[in-house]
Amino acid sequence: MPQALPNFSSSVKLKYVKLGYQYLVDHILTFLLIPTMVGISVQIILLGPEEMLKIWRSLDIDLVQILCSSFLIILICTLYFMSKPRSVYLVDYACYKPPITYRVSFSTFMEHSRLNLKDNLKSVDFQMRILERSGLGEETCLPPAIHYIPPTPTMEAARGEAEEVIFSAIDSLMQKTGIKVKDIDILIVNCSLFSPTPSLSAMVVNKYKLRSNIKSYNLSGMGCSAGLISMDLARDLLQAHPNSYALVVSTEIITPNYYKGSERAMLLPNCLFRMGGAAILLSNKSRDKHRAKYRLVHVVRTHKGSDDKAYKCVYEQEDSQGKVGINLSKDLMVIAGEALKSNITTIGPLVLPASEQLLFLITLIGRKIFNPKWKPYIPDFKQAFEHFCIHAGGRAVIDELQKNLQLSSEHVEASRMTLHRFGNTSSSSLWYELSYIEAKGRMKKGDRVWQIAFGSGFKCNSAVWKCNRTIKTPTDGPWQDCIDRYPVHIPEIVKL
Amino acid sequence: MVSSMAEGLIYDVKLSSVGPGNAIEPDMVHEPSDMDLAMKLHYLKGIYYFGKQAFEGLTTINIKEPLFILLNDFPVICGRFRRAESGRPYIKCNDCGVRFLEAKCEKTMDEWLEMIKENASLEKYLTPNQIIGPEIAFSPTVLLQYTKFKCGGMSVGLSWAHVLGDAFSAAEFLNLLGKVVAGEKPNRPIKTKSTNSESLLKDMEDPLSVKRAGPVGDNWITVNNSKMEAFSFSVNAAQLSHLQSKISSNATDFSPFEAISAVIWQCVAKIRESEPKVVTICKMMEQNKADGNNQLMSVVKAAYPIVEANPSELAELMKNSAFDQREKIENAIKKDNGVSDLIVYGANLTFVNLEEAKFYEFDYRGEKPVYVSYRVDGVGDEGAVFVLPGPPKNGGMTVMAILPENEVTELKLELKTEWFMD
Repeated sequence: MPQALPNFSSSVKLKYVKLGYQYLVDHILTFLLIPTMVGISVQIILLGPEEMLKIWRSLDIDLVQILCSSFLIILICTLYFMSKPRSVYLVDYACYKPPITYRVSFSTFMEHSRLNLKDNLKSVDFQMRILERSGLGEETCLPPAIHYIPPTPTMEAARGEAEEVIFSAIDSLMQKTGIKVKDIDILIVNCSLFSPTPSLSAMVVNKYKLRSNIKSYNLSGMGCSAGLISMDLARDLLQAHPNSYALVVSTEIITPNYYKGSERAMLLPNCLFRMGGAAILLSNKSRDKHRAKYRLVHVVRTHKGSDDKAYKCVYEQEDSQGKVGINLSKDLMVIAGEALKSNITTIGPLVLPASEQLLFLITLIGRKIFNPKWKPYIPDFKQAFEHFCIHAGGRAVIDELQKNLQLSSEHVEASRMTLHRFGNTSSSSLWYELSYIEAKGRMKKGDRVWQIAFGSGFKCNSAVWKCNRTIKTPTDGPWQDCIDRYPVHIPEIVKL
Repeated sequence: MVSSMAEGLIYDVKLSSVGPGNAIEPDMVHEPSDMDLAMKLHYLKGIYYFGKQAFEGLTTINIKEPLFILLNDFPVICGRFRRAESGRPYIKCNDCGVRFLEAKCEKTMDEWLEMIKENASLEKYLTPNQIIGPEIAFSPTVLLQYTKFKCGGMSVGLSWAHVLGDAFSAAEFLNLLGKVVAGEKPNRPIKTKSTNSESLLKDMEDPLSVKRAGPVGDNWITVNNSKMEAFSFSVNAAQLSHLQSKISSNATDFSPFEAISAVIWQCVAKIRESEPKVVTICKMMEQNKADGNNQLMSVVKAAYPIVEANPSELAELMKNSAFDQREKIENAIKKDNGVSDLIVYGANLTFVNLEEAKFYEFDYRGEKPVYVSYRVDGVGDEGAVFVLPGPPKNGGMTVMAILPENEVTELKLELKTEWFMD
């Protein structure tokens, strides 16, 4: 007992020391400014008003000089306001909710797998082990073509899936925001693995009869992080075009990409990828300042493609039997960790409070100059953000990030529960996670959100949002009918 | 499933699965009763023929959707068999679902109905024919096949493992589907524990109504010595009343089932070398809840030669002198804790009374079936006869007989000449 007490009291003392340090460094400018202001005020008071007037007259400033100075000040102010980047607001977003007829339970998935791969029972067992540890739940959905034994992925079925997902999400978004389709100035659609001609963005223009001078873009092949790449592109376009609306649609079409072979490294995506999509409305109009949900603060993109190992770690290729699939290499987690480090190094100075940055700098200098054996200081990102949306790429990704960033289980709850309820929906998973946080009533005005996505290439992209207004529950969205059942405990291994 | 002989007749077959729309609570398990396990080698096959209007304009997803809603109330059907450590089979309710087949037929429904009058075996192409096994954990117990005819009519083929329940439960399942299609919500309490009779009766030998099969292991189908063939014929209202009046003896009226069965019993006795002195009778219980195997099973023993007997005497025997076998059958299963393999239909010549079955109450979007046919796969060598209600507008009965193929032609002839039944 006596031994525990000193430890406890010393840890408490340490906590207060740390808090004091943080408060001091974060508000250093205030702490420096106040004594200076007080000092000047005291000086002025001591001098008295007559002395002040005498000093003013001795400066001998005439009208021309006053006018020039004021013009200069006005010019500088104007230049500053004009060159300030336009604020980009996220007015609202909508996620696609698949109907119950697309539901796939574990047992059905395994039974179909067994029937489809009946010559390769070892691969079937491998799939079962993946599924048991995947973190997915029993309510994830696959498109109708994949429900067949064997799956029937025709182009028509793929287009059908794309139409259903994208149009439902956009219809839902239009209803929520009340804007008219003719007001959309910029359209960006990202879907990595399905890229027909005409493009999916042309499909949207055709369905909704968008204006002929619309700026439309279709991003394909950019992996699960393409959602944030679209955000980045939309932001840049909104700088170039004042007073505009940008509609961004992020999705992944499962139908044409179901791997029909039996190579183990390529069976993983079949187990994890599920149907999903999201439509997001961005605006730089000043009238949306008050009704928008979020404001985009930063987008940081990191590309590790120059490294060969990173480039090849998620690679689409043919297997020994000529069947096309996506090969996930064994060093995926290591590469993801390195990409994350790069991304953090760039985003850290932008978002971390001064106290954390100082500590990081001191440790960095110390390691370089004094002693390389010092433990590297991992900045505490929990001080920079209230909410984290980690792309639900798989249980391993979330576990890895939770460990690296030292996050609590509540911070990663949105990611884990999205993986459980919807599976890996690729680029749209970040939006399901954000929707979860809102549905739980945790999103308050001023909260900062960090969205992190990884994707083939290998890329790690981050976006930082600030909540513009407190979001009231109940929210309408994909979690509407099931939020009360969450969070659920996800066992390490589910017994099938 | 579709042999090369029928290639072209039935084509474009697609397989998928339909499960419950909502996730079930985990670790739910159903223990079949002893009576259920006695019937596990039999499979009910029902075919409901619908006219064009019932399924007009419906896509596959439209057809599947009500099943997703209905199956929320049938977790047992959606489960799969496992074996306990003792070897006794049980069902793990794991949301796996039923198998769903879509097919097309190159004939119109009228042409098809004509064809099956000659050759009832063709109907096996309208129902899925997968048995439980060789991997029981991955075998669906219920399969549905929707076959579209050239004229736009649709047949709904149901394959229902008898271990889940009798024909009355199978009919109830589809009738509830019809209700869901109409927009009603089925409100069915979920029963996971079947009731078993209590103690093990001491050292009884197997009842007359069953025969030990196999052991079949995990391939739940019996192997017959001779190939069994199905043939069906209808007895319209006029023929039925004529038959009943012919058979009725002083002041005893016989039901259509008793009359028809007595006649067939005698005809079969005439064409077989050794007369079937013992027959099994199965009929509905008074308080039928239509969930599970709740039929009354009894045997009738004739002490005299059948061929010379008066059919009304046979009908009399069936009506009044049946020995109840339920407890004995359950005992036979209990003896080795459900591991043994028995057959009931076909252990002796079996007559199954499905008169009261509500087959024609399956209403799909306001349309009732024009014709319903039921048969059983996995019938033993002695054969079985099923008496079902006929189409309501005819008012008569449909009779489905499953017998060794060499007996079929003779029986048909016998029925035609003696009783004017075609």
